[in-house]
Amino acid sequence: MGANDIDLILQQTVNAVALGGTYALLALGLAVVFSIMGLINFAHGELMTIAGYVLMYCGIAGVPFVLGVPLAVASAMLAAMAMERVAFRPVRNASGATLLVTSFAVAMILQVLFQNLISPRSQPVIVPDLLGHSITIGGLVIGVNKLFAIAATLVMLVALETFMTRQKHGIAMRAAAEDFAIARLMGIRANTVIAAAFALSGLLAGVAAVLWVSQRASVDPLMGFTPVLKAFIAAILGGLGSLRGAVAGGFVLGFIEVLLAAFLPSDWQEFREPIGLSLVVLMLVLRPNGLIPAATLQAQKA
Amino acid sequence: MELTSSRTHLVAALLAALAFVVVLALVGDLVGTSVERTIIVFLVSLTAISAMGLYSGNSGILSFGHLSFMGVGAYVSALLTLPTHIKEATLPALPGWLASTGLGLWPATLVAVLVTMAVAVVVGLAIWRLEGSAATIATLALLIITHGILIGWRDVTRGAQTFFGVPRDTTIWVAAIGCFVALIISRLYRDSAWGLRLRAGRENATAAASVGISVPRERFIALVLSAGLMALSGALIAHFLGAFSPKKFYFTDTFFLLAMLIVGGMTTVSGPVLGAAVVTLITEILRRLEGGLDLGFMEVPQVFGTTQIGIGVLILLALMHRKDGLAGMKEWEEWLIPTRRAAVNPKPLSPAESAPVIAENVTRRFGGLLATNKVSLTVRPGEILGLIGPNGSGKTTLLNQISGVLPPSSGKISRGEQDLLKLPSHKFADAGIARTFQNIRLFPTLTVYQNIQVAALSSKGGRDAAARVAGALQWLGLEAVAETDAGTLSYGDQRRVEIARALVCQPSLIFLDEPAAGMNREETDALMDILRRINTDLGIGILLVDHDLALINALCHRIAVLNEGRMIAEGTPEEVRSDPAVIEAYLGTFTKQSTVPT
Repeated sequence: MGANDIDLILQQTVNAVALGGTYALLALGLAVVFSIMGLINFAHGELMTIAGYVLMYCGIAGVPFVLGVPLAVASAMLAAMAMERVAFRPVRNASGATLLVTSFAVAMILQVLFQNLISPRSQPVIVPDLLGHSITIGGLVIGVNKLFAIAATLVMLVALETFMTRQKHGIAMRAAAEDFAIARLMGIRANTVIAAAFALSGLLAGVAAVLWVSQRASVDPLMGFTPVLKAFIAAILGGLGSLRGAVAGGFVLGFIEVLLAAFLPSDWQEFREPIGLSLVVLMLVLRPNGLIPAATLQAQKA
Repeated sequence: MELTSSRTHLVAALLAALAFVVVLALVGDLVGTSVERTIIVFLVSLTAISAMGLYSGNSGILSFGHLSFMGVGAYVSALLTLPTHIKEATLPALPGWLASTGLGLWPATLVAVLVTMAVAVVVGLAIWRLEGSAATIATLALLIITHGILIGWRDVTRGAQTFFGVPRDTTIWVAAIGCFVALIISRLYRDSAWGLRLRAGRENATAAASVGISVPRERFIALVLSAGLMALSGALIAHFLGAFSPKKFYFTDTFFLLAMLIVGGMTTVSGPVLGAAVVTLITEILRRLEGGLDLGFMEVPQVFGTTQIGIGVLILLALMHRKDGLAGMKEWEEWLIPTRRAAVNPKPLSPAESAPVIAENVTRRFGGLLATNKVSLTVRPGEILGLIGPNGSGKTTLLNQISGVLPPSSGKISRGEQDLLKLPSHKFADAGIARTFQNIRLFPTLTVYQNIQVAALSSKGGRDAAARVAGALQWLGLEAVAETDAGTLSYGDQRRVEIARALVCQPSLIFLDEPAAGMNREETDALMDILRRINTDLGIGILLVDHDLALINALCHRIAVLNEGRMIAEGTPEEVRSDPAVIEAYLGTFTKQSTVPT
């Protein structure tokens, strides 16, 4: 193996970590909500799209990127909480299928709204020039946007871990995820904890959107839909409702995609996506509860 | 395959479906033009959603992947009917044998259905073990994978480009025939033994396994059948449109078809019919609005996607106000025509096995907790064994292990020559072991009769099912409520249904987990009488877990006592009552009192 091969592998590893990190953040957002109310939120991607549009409008209005980012993330959080209040609260205790279809309908409605109110076409987003640069470490050329993505993912994961294990609200949320009924008896308010879960998932979607947009510098009505489909699959792969599983699933999926893109023969490149997903389904066949199953599944009694 | 509902219902459903499609086809044929096109699309959509309902409705697993099967059906059938000169022009790289094939619509459809069912076999095996939401997301992956393959496989599918030149052979009568076939197959499936078993699995998977149902197997059958019907709808739509691309079988159409299914209700076949009708009507109205509208006093501007928003809102409203859909949980004929079943002579439910079930050193850990710690127990046919102990002493965990619901961490459980630990949980019923659950696990939306019938059909090879059901109903005195939904009964009646459901499996051992909980004194006395007679008249062994020590003492030949996961005493009621360890476990410390309070 020559120096070039090693460089190539390192290069692809960086790409995989950057992409996998974004999937991990999205999958984590899905898992937070799922673990608490059993909802697989199809409209999670639309939160991402909303954050993307806010970034776009900030650019048009001349708001600096550094200010645009928190605005975008905050808008995704607000949108998530609004979504819960309007669409999901009325069906809160319904079956998983009902919740899923509700969120599917919300996603479709939002997509059509984006197409009508903003534009059906892809719109450019102004991102700082710096993100387009790349730096050289050893023989390795790494895009600043990739480094930014990796750093942001790390910060988010560490912050979330701290929040979930040290903070009162985080602990309440974990308690609610384990057993919602008991958590309520212990004085945790259902509305508060669910709203907090949605806010958190909105935060994660917002950050993921910033990372996504800073690599592509454009936004369109379906921007969030495709990556969130992948994130679903990552969440299932990791173990539905398990937070660590979601992160693991996100990174595994990122690696699969990047490695297939890099090493699959060019004749096969067109089938990259089906092959990657088939690999994931294969892993699920071997581990039907996911890589790191949720605790509630293990403790389930007959 | 055996049909489980009354002939009257099925004949009524069949005639209604026939009348419905014939009237629609006649209307379309006579009016022509755009109405005809709308009706053809309606019939094809109905074909598709009754197929989706066949799987999702009966299994309770929502599928986003069914349009893959529709897509496969469309492409396969179109490749077979496409005239050879068009193939030469548009698909030059097609393999020779396919390039020279030119079949008619029906043979091509048949091949497409078979190919798609073969694909579904592979898919079904892959998702065999997945449950609930995980299975749903796997179907989503299926949709994306199929879409990717259709786009990537350019030599055969023309990739993302339009596949055109398909003969437009789907007339309104062809669509009507296809739709009728789909409606009838889904209706018959629903009330076949397969369909009833799958519905039981949807209502309660653990209980379904305990009466001998392999839920994954039933799901697999439903998936393959519904994939075949999806392929039929795919072939019909392909030969109606004449030109299509992979986009036709992706998210937008999945959304519209799911909307129909959910608004109508997916647990019945009436549901898809209602849903398709409502959604088609609303879509037609919205589509006219979409182009903009002049109301005289104001102009409504043209809004792209009005239909999608309208349908989205319709789904939200439907889910908030009628979560089972417009049709609810029952078919129209089940509402209107009272069920009458032919009288059958009850069959005596005497057991086949005589070997005891022997558990040795059974240990089960939950994390750091030892729920059962090296417990050994022998349960013999013919005797009534009581299992008592304070709350949390491991009674239910022990019961779950010897009935196959929960695998032990270590230990041995056998019956005669048979190692029960090697048996999947749905095989325990046929090993002569039936049970009830502490928190009642019935199939609440099925009738009492169906609850017991599905167990009879799934055990002992389904032999003499009707006679066994009659026997079980008689034993527990449930004849009067046989056609009531099990979920609407009183607590005591539900317990009796559960016991009847266990009894109908013709077991040699019945495990009862707190059968008297929630019953008043008279009901408990009546139950004791029934249990005693089951034991003496039929010779069935009973393992009884209960907190009602009066019941235990009066009924049991032998009592075993658990405390903190360990077996602390075993013997006749008298022996156990005077055992110091038992008294300490129940009263905390040793006192002069020589009996456990009863």
